[in-house]
Amino acid sequence: MEDTLTTRRKVLIGMTATVGAAGASIAAIPFIASWNPSAKAKAVGGPVRIDVSKMQVGQKIQVSWRKQPIFIIRHSKEAIENLSKVESKLDDPSSLKIEEPYRDLNPTRSTSGEYTVIAGVCTHLGCAPKFYPEIQPQPWDDSWIGGFFCPCHGSMFDIVGRVFKGVPAPTNLKVPPHYFDGSILTIGEER
Amino acid sequence: MTQQSSGIFNWINTRLPISNTYERHLSKHPVPKKVNFWYLFGALASVVLIIQIVSGIWLMFGYENTEEGAFASVEYIMRDIEYGWIIRYMHTTGASMFFAVVYLHMFRGLLYGSYHKPRELVWIFGMTIYLVMMAEGFLGYVLPYGQMSYWGAQVIISLFGAIPYIGESLELWVRGDYYISGATISRFFALHVVALPLILIALVFMHLVALHEVGAGNPDGVDIEKYLDEDGVPLDSVPFFPYKVLNALVAIGVFGIVFSFIMFFFPEGGGYMLELANFEEANPLSTPEHIAPVWYYSPYYAMLRAVPDKLGGLLVMAAAIAILFVVPWLDRSKAASIRYKGILSKIAMTMFIVSWLMLAWLGTVPVTALRTTLSIIGTVIYFAFFLLMPIYTSIEKTKPVPERL
Amino acid sequence: MKKFCFLIFLFLSINSVVAAVGAPCGDYGECDAFKPQLTNIESLQLGALTFINHCYGCHSLKYSRWGRISKDLDIPEKILTENLVFGSDVKLGDRMTGSMQSAVSEGWFGIAPPDLTLVTRLHGSDWVYTYLRTFYEDSSKPYGVNNMVYPGAAMPNVLALMQGQQILSCKDVPIIASNGGVRRDEFGNDITEEKCGYLKTIEGSGKLTEQEFDDYIFNLVNFMTYVGEPSRSVRERMGWYVILFFVVFTAFSYLLYREYQKDYH
Repeated sequence: MEDTLTTRRKVLIGMTATVGAAGASIAAIPFIASWNPSAKAKAVGGPVRIDVSKMQVGQKIQVSWRKQPIFIIRHSKEAIENLSKVESKLDDPSSLKIEEPYRDLNPTRSTSGEYTVIAGVCTHLGCAPKFYPEIQPQPWDDSWIGGFFCPCHGSMFDIVGRVFKGVPAPTNLKVPPHYFDGSILTIGEER
Repeated sequence: MTQQSSGIFNWINTRLPISNTYERHLSKHPVPKKVNFWYLFGALASVVLIIQIVSGIWLMFGYENTEEGAFASVEYIMRDIEYGWIIRYMHTTGASMFFAVVYLHMFRGLLYGSYHKPRELVWIFGMTIYLVMMAEGFLGYVLPYGQMSYWGAQVIISLFGAIPYIGESLELWVRGDYYISGATISRFFALHVVALPLILIALVFMHLVALHEVGAGNPDGVDIEKYLDEDGVPLDSVPFFPYKVLNALVAIGVFGIVFSFIMFFFPEGGGYMLELANFEEANPLSTPEHIAPVWYYSPYYAMLRAVPDKLGGLLVMAAAIAILFVVPWLDRSKAASIRYKGILSKIAMTMFIVSWLMLAWLGTVPVTALRTTLSIIGTVIYFAFFLLMPIYTSIEKTKPVPERL
Repeated sequence: MKKFCFLIFLFLSINSVVAAVGAPCGDYGECDAFKPQLTNIESLQLGALTFINHCYGCHSLKYSRWGRISKDLDIPEKILTENLVFGSDVKLGDRMTGSMQSAVSEGWFGIAPPDLTLVTRLHGSDWVYTYLRTFYEDSSKPYGVNNMVYPGAAMPNVLALMQGQQILSCKDVPIIASNGGVRRDEFGNDITEEKCGYLKTIEGSGKLTEQEFDDYIFNLVNFMTYVGEPSRSVRERMGWYVILFFVVFTAFSYLLYREYQKDYH
């Protein structure tokens, strides 16, 4: 049996191997793509719409998006003015450490000047922080002027979800992509 | 190969017999130098096995093995999972192609007497694989839980009831419930996905080990081990790698054309591969007009229906498969291959093929009086082919078998 | 090999001898041919519109999603939502679960209107195409209609306004003798007899002519065929490329095989 690899053999082996490899790679595509989120996952994870016109000033409501609680807060003008007062206590007042979709648009961290939309997931270990909007001393802060307190390990956030210094949570509460169309708020996508 | 990489290779090779295995089973494994296309179906069968395992695993990503979710989950795979439809059709086409390839592979065995000494065990392992494949196919077909899945399961499970004394308890035991339900689906799922594939893989491995021990046959039935060269290598052989591997590659190419043509243009197989009744969710209160198994069970289904008695039908069906196991001892011919056998064997073989194909068709159509008669005739011919074999293979005049290829 | 081919021929001939005459479309006999045009977007869009307006009131398409219809049929999401999706809480990702509750409909029709996502795969598109066109007036039935393809169907003739009145009528047909010949009188004219059970549409009684109605139903069944398997047009297009790949692969591997076969031939 001849074992020498003639040029013809090298070429034929090369061509067959190339065609075969190309076929195998293309055949792999459906097997890899089928791992992507299915239409069902995309439907369930799709954007959520709410009408916020019935919300009272100073109220916080909660909706579910991608199995996460999303807080929507309607601020009074006073609460927004108070934001500058708490700045010295904050770790990252301009949200530079995280991805902030609407940075510098509004003090509310949203496209709207009146509402804040944030994920109610403490950036420490994931508990849901509680809403304490009243301006009154609290056991965790004598000079509390309203915000969120996480009962699990005591992290504190201001009324627009920015984290305090010296607490277990490392970063501000995340702002999901959202937009307002009149009083209809869509959470989960940009316009 | 650099010093470094051959070093690593040697490290592994002293601990795992890589070179040894490569030589024994590939580059120095002698196979007959002249075979025909009938000898390629074994390789194709292993390719289809791999296709079924891979596509099966991927189907499990979307399939729900519950009574409520099963049917809808198949549509979920077809529509909502990206390219899910490719994976589903690959699996259903693969199932039919598996049986098509295996039937042709078995036919090669009958044609060229591949079961003759010393290959009897290869044949027996093969028949066991066939038996397990039939169970595997049945279990898999129940899983989409369409009308045909349900009612096909109903018919087959009720066959267990035909066994005297233990029949009814056996039916209950197989079903896991008083009627086919989620209990049945979940156990069939476990058997179809894990238990039987493991058994199948083990059997295929044994089949190949037994084959490599004695070497492959050839269409002339020549014993290539009789004439060796000075190194002990059979004169009429070539090394399996690369020569027969390249042959298998061509076979895979042609097979790919056929497989793709069916999968992309006729995945339902005209209603014989994906039965149309299965596009309706299982309804225990409504029996389809026409219950038929998928095409690869139809010869045996025809036999089952030909016998008026329930237990009798079951026994005939079982005997039809059981008799395949003992063919090595039924064939008394001096020649292994049909090419050198006498006229009686050739007539018998022709009649067997015609009756098998006729039974296959009869199993797919509704019953009429004429068709029942034909089924009986077909069944008789089928059994006669085997039961009369010891007689006609010993009395006929065979042609002398050549010494060399 | 020759023997094998002969046997296949033998088998096929036996097949044709004992093949029975089926009645796939009930009393109508053979179904009217229907060839889907799954790349004809306009037809699919018209069919979708017809389905939503006339069928979705009773029949769900529960394995299909709205968003998929929008994408595959080139209907912009806004237009779909405004014109085809009824119900403000229905999102585009949702499945088309229908408007009627089965408990209610069972009371009205005796049976809940079945989900239709897979009906063209179950019965065949030509069956559905023929079924929708063979309703006829029958005063003995609860809703005043019967159907030739599915006698005793509980479904009322929803599209009667479009089709107009269809009745069973009689007509004169030539007498065919047992040897296939046509009986003729002494002048060479066909002798006819009256045969009944033919469908006849009363001209002008519907909004559409017979041809227009056939096209209307064609679009509808085209859409239903699409819904039965949305990926079908992709599958058929992809198939050519896959087969082409295997042809090329076979060619190269064959050349390679023959090159190495020289070693021992």
